[in-house]
Amino acid sequence: MNDDITAEDDGQSGIKKLPLAAAVVALIGLVDAVYLTVKHLRNEVVPCSLVEGCEKVLSSAYAEIGGIPIAAFGAVAYFLAFSLAVLAAYGNRLTWTLFRVQAALMAAYTLWLLYLQAFVIGAFCQFCLISAATSLTLFIFALFVKIR
Amino acid sequence: MAKEKKSQSGMPLALIVIVLLVVVISGVWLYNSSSTTTTPAANQANQAKPTAVNIPPGASLGVNMIGSPDAAVTIEEFADYQCGACASVHPVLKELQGVYAGNKNFRFVFRHYPLGIAGHDKSFEASVATEAAGLQGKFWQMQDKLFTNQQAWTSNPNYRQMWVEYAGAVGMDVERFKTDIAGIQTKERVEQDMQRGRAMAISSTPTVLINGNPVPFNQLNITTLRQLVDAEIQKATAAKAASDTVAQPASNANSGSASNSASNSNAASNAK
Repeated sequence: MNDDITAEDDGQSGIKKLPLAAAVVALIGLVDAVYLTVKHLRNEVVPCSLVEGCEKVLSSAYAEIGGIPIAAFGAVAYFLAFSLAVLAAYGNRLTWTLFRVQAALMAAYTLWLLYLQAFVIGAFCQFCLISAATSLTLFIFALFVKIR
Repeated sequence: MAKEKKSQSGMPLALIVIVLLVVVISGVWLYNSSSTTTTPAANQANQAKPTAVNIPPGASLGVNMIGSPDAAVTIEEFADYQCGACASVHPVLKELQGVYAGNKNFRFVFRHYPLGIAGHDKSFEASVATEAAGLQGKFWQMQDKLFTNQQAWTSNPNYRQMWVEYAGAVGMDVERFKTDIAGIQTKERVEQDMQRGRAMAISSTPTVLINGNPVPFNQLNITTLRQLVDAEIQKATAAKAASDTVAQPASNANSGSASNSASNSNAASNAK
């Protein structure tokens, strides 16, 4: 791929900025996923609102796999992505390759979740959409950023 | 270069460990924190201006009412039959109605507020069904059926047949129930409530108001509601006692501190 962007060292510190930015995005996804996990585990009922709907997404059958909230899997995945990206920012090429593979898998799963919300559940949940945005952003990093 | 890399190798690991610790600790803290954290909708309810119970247009008070028509304390609920939170609050409000049954200072008014959002395709029709039940004096029984069986009918394509079964179970004339659902009268009743809700800028369900003051969603438990109702009853009886002792309302110089209900009862005594 000729249009790949190569992550350059920041002259003095030796830290690569683009993987570091990816790590920050993963961190946002991590915080969001932890929030969703806690919210799911506390099983809070929220009022239905004209603007936000009923948060029925979080209480749907799709919100759990084997009794474990998928948000928890999301939290683990984002933590892993964060760790890989941080290591890559400090020059580890192997972790960046792993990051790229993981980001692709996460993006695929995100598309599935978006499909479920749009066509099966018929409702969206705000914090799930934030997670979708962060994971797709990670995928963009994975697609275009290379480390030399 | 190699030397420089080595000196930094601890940094990323330290970052990762710190993030892990922070996330775990804050997650546990969030999980254990009390549920007083208000939801966005509850915040909206908090910010909503107190609205006098009788001002907005729409349905006349008392179509779906439990209690005394001239009670000092009015609980008004706006709800949607497909709203899970409304179903979860339903037993609490039912208990509240039981606690104050026969109390001449208490009345409970139900308002239909089908939201018309995704997944609420049957709420308007459900409201119409309870109105049809109301024409046979079974409004509250039908409402109870719809809320307690919400999960069952909300996703069932044969929900109409289920409602007919509920109607039969609470002892209604089923044929008349079917006709009334199809009629215009029941739909108009629901629309009147919706009009009132819109005029009051109700944006979420359930919205419960005590004498026009919205109660935040997370306070909709029996203990808090009883406290709030008792306080309002006390306020009203105190105000009534005050207006009884002051023979001439015109001499009531301390009206600046009078509460809403106090001024209402003053207005009533002025009208006499």
